[in-house]
Amino acid sequence: MTRLLYLIVTVTMLSAVGAVFLLAPTEKQMGDVQRIFYFHVASALAAGVAYLLVFVSSVWYLRTRDDRWDRFAGVSAELGVLFSAFVLFSGPLWARPIWGVFWRWEPRLTTMLITFTIYVAYLMVRSYGAPGERTQRFAAVVGIVAFVNVPLVHYSINMWAADQQLHPPKVELAPVMQQTKFLCYFAFACLFALLMRLRLSQEHLAARLQALLRMTAHR
Amino acid sequence: MSRAIPGTWGHARILLRKDLVAEWRTKERLSPMVFFVLLVLLVYNFAFELGGAALWEIGPGVLWSSFVFASLFGLQRTFAAESDNDCLDALLAAPVERGALYLAKMVGNVLFLLGVELLTLPLFGLFFNLTAGLYLLPLLVVFLLGSASVASVGTLFAAMTGHSRLREFLLPLLVLPVLIPALISCVAATGVILAAGVPGRNPPLWPAELTVHVGMLGLFAVVFTTLSWMLFDFVIEE
Repeated sequence: MTRLLYLIVTVTMLSAVGAVFLLAPTEKQMGDVQRIFYFHVASALAAGVAYLLVFVSSVWYLRTRDDRWDRFAGVSAELGVLFSAFVLFSGPLWARPIWGVFWRWEPRLTTMLITFTIYVAYLMVRSYGAPGERTQRFAAVVGIVAFVNVPLVHYSINMWAADQQLHPPKVELAPVMQQTKFLCYFAFACLFALLMRLRLSQEHLAARLQALLRMTAHR
Repeated sequence: MSRAIPGTWGHARILLRKDLVAEWRTKERLSPMVFFVLLVLLVYNFAFELGGAALWEIGPGVLWSSFVFASLFGLQRTFAAESDNDCLDALLAAPVERGALYLAKMVGNVLFLLGVELLTLPLFGLFFNLTAGLYLLPLLVVFLLGSASVASVGTLFAAMTGHSRLREFLLPLLVLPVLIPALISCVAATGVILAAGVPGRNPPLWPAELTVHVGMLGLFAVVFTTLSWMLFDFVIEE
């Protein structure tokens, strides 16, 4: 199954890259820089999905106390932070030629940055807490608080920087651009699934190893 | 002698009273916090070469950042007194709802923060040539809701990080990013209020722009107090 995923990710990623650089037409005003958009938006979407998964699995962990949900939440948060970091990295690359600066304290950028910091703190709770049931519970609580906070961050930042709305809104894309975008979404979804699968199996093995160690220690 | 068994609120009141009495006798939280705010104001004065003229621009930011940093101090002590002699275990063994414990600690934190804010506001006014006047009255509402916002998540996270060996690091890392929406509203609302003090202006007691910021602050406080209250059970169960 994992091998198949590797294959799918390779094929879809390569074709996505091909479509972005060869198939999609050059945007009239921004030029080639606009091509960052396809990866940028796809990773933003992936990050959003990841954060939603952290929330859902945190709630589910507190309800069921099943370690698997805890691992799922942790891995989702890692992926969320990874894809957010890529969004925060690719955005400035685009902004520099278009806005003239790498960074503006613009609502969407600022919201993304704050959300990113909250989930980095979440990962710190996981990694600095003593391994065990208590840290898992704490992490779940933080995972829930973090997600509830996202809309509040969004609204308050919108109010704070109402005169700074520079992020391009949803735009009408040419059909080929639209298809390229969806291909990118699909490629990133496959990448997401693959990374998720790999990390989950690692975490599963680590948990089994810990259990074995505990067993032998008791003998 | 028979006495009615108090409910959640009754328990919370008893616990809160205990904390207030302990604080009154030791002053181990209020005095370092107040002193810390004083020091931060000093640092800002040199860092930004503040004069009276800059007050309208960065005054609210100076005020709230010093409050937030000082509050991290106070929050860290929320459960410290309970863990010293394993009091927390006794509290958990007692037939007291966990929610009551959260409420007591949260309200306690609100009161401590309010105390710090009210004690240091005159200092701030003195250093930065704030003219006293009735226009400062809405600050009370901002202080109250701001303290409630800080205390809502702060109390929840303090209960978590009390156990961790890295609590000094972890609490600010958790509290600060979550608190940003509240901080934005606090600074904006305080800015509106301080701007009303510009000599020569005669603004209404409650400027209209204030409502949206105070509303946002109230929303934050209500959402996170409720959520933390619900989640507190999971944090404290042992």
